[in-house]
Amino acid sequence: MNQYKGIKTPRRAAPLCVALLAAGWMAAAQGAEEYLLTVTRPGLLHVVDMRTNTLERSCRVPGAFGSGAMALAPDGRTAFVLSNMWEDVYGIDIKTCEVVFAARQSNRDIKVKSIQSVAVSADGKELYTVQNRVRQHPDRLEALAPQLAVFDIADGLEAKPVRTFPVNRRITKIAATHTGEVILGGADVEAIDVRTGATRIVTPLASWDRGPLWAPPDAFAMHSQGEHLNEYIMPYVTAKFTDERADMETAEWWWGMSRVNLETAAVEAMETVPFEFIVFTFVTDPNNRDILYGAFNQLSKHDIGAKQTVAVEPLARTYYAINISGDGKTLYVGGAASDISVHDSATLKKVGSIELPGDMSTADLRVARIE
Amino acid sequence: MKHLKSMNKKARMLEQAANPDQIEDVVAMQAVVGCTATTDPGWEIDAFGGLGSLCQPMEADLYGCADACWWPAQVPDTMSSHPEWGEGVDNATRDWRKVDGIFQDD
Repeated sequence: MNQYKGIKTPRRAAPLCVALLAAGWMAAAQGAEEYLLTVTRPGLLHVVDMRTNTLERSCRVPGAFGSGAMALAPDGRTAFVLSNMWEDVYGIDIKTCEVVFAARQSNRDIKVKSIQSVAVSADGKELYTVQNRVRQHPDRLEALAPQLAVFDIADGLEAKPVRTFPVNRRITKIAATHTGEVILGGADVEAIDVRTGATRIVTPLASWDRGPLWAPPDAFAMHSQGEHLNEYIMPYVTAKFTDERADMETAEWWWGMSRVNLETAAVEAMETVPFEFIVFTFVTDPNNRDILYGAFNQLSKHDIGAKQTVAVEPLARTYYAINISGDGKTLYVGGAASDISVHDSATLKKVGSIELPGDMSTADLRVARIE
Repeated sequence: MKHLKSMNKKARMLEQAANPDQIEDVVAMQAVVGCTATTDPGWEIDAFGGLGSLCQPMEADLYGCADACWWPAQVPDTMSSHPEWGEGVDNATRDWRKVDGIFQDD
């Protein structure tokens, strides 16, 4: 394990506010129904009852599979699924399987792909995507500028963008704040005002300037989670060099993250634990925000207050996506192949498995709460 | 060029191309048509020279690479070019033998 003495981390923003938010959510969660949602081939939205960890229903998602990224309505009742080869978004009632919303983004001239970027406003009225567009001329393809598209969910099955704003390229997962912005995960973590289109940098990553002793961070985020604490995590890897020769062999390698409180848009940006292995996705323990869990080829538990990885449990295969129950007691890892692995968060030991009919591939694994 | 006069459309395009102000920026298309903007190395070795950080087994990762255009040299992209590639094979770990290769049409 690398040493990390002397590493300074930025002051964390609004801890009391976050603690109160978590406490309120925990209290509300006591009487709520919780459903684990994911999407598999050949285009099925699966609804798992988290009390019994059994598959309650499977809903047909229009269009070919891809990508299965998902955003939830605030009431947990509707899942908005990116489908049809990363082009369309369909809103599906998870209780009835009724398709209640459709945004077909491509047309005859312009092909649109959204790379995991789908989010719902805090009031549940608007849906956001980042559209990567190419105009298909008879003899050539013209790459158009990407844009944030805003849809009115009340438009139902024929939704078209009601506003668009230019955004940078390379944006993957996004999330809406309660302050009227959408967090954009790209080369930097940015925020865009959904009324004016004004953007600001939330956490500089590709453009950070911490001097020659720090390597530019390599950030990665394909999957969305954090709905249990209303937060957004963009993890990154960086290296701290011993001197300006920037020797990779002697550098300290670190995980870090930009963690945004979607209630207030306050951000914590910090190195978290020494980098020891790849983690695809992190989720915060609702009972202790210093505890993160991670998934990839192993399930891991990290204490970012102590800056230590405190437990590692090997997994039977690669899992891309992680999520957690409202009481913080149960971890779910999914994505890639066709089974969701269920684990005790205290021990990380496997306590169950949920078999699905097809592969989850790039799909999200999200938790819907219905009061 | 100043002593030459463009006589047809192609010549005028060449003239424009010679002017740096007229050349369009080269931008990535972010996997909108095909996956050729992505040139990651493949499944052979991880970033640390080992195998431990590769997805395991490769069958579990098959569609995660195909659907996202992650490794286009190794897996057909289902996002744009070969959307039918995985049809009927919903569980790659069990049925990977049923997915076929991609062959160029003559």
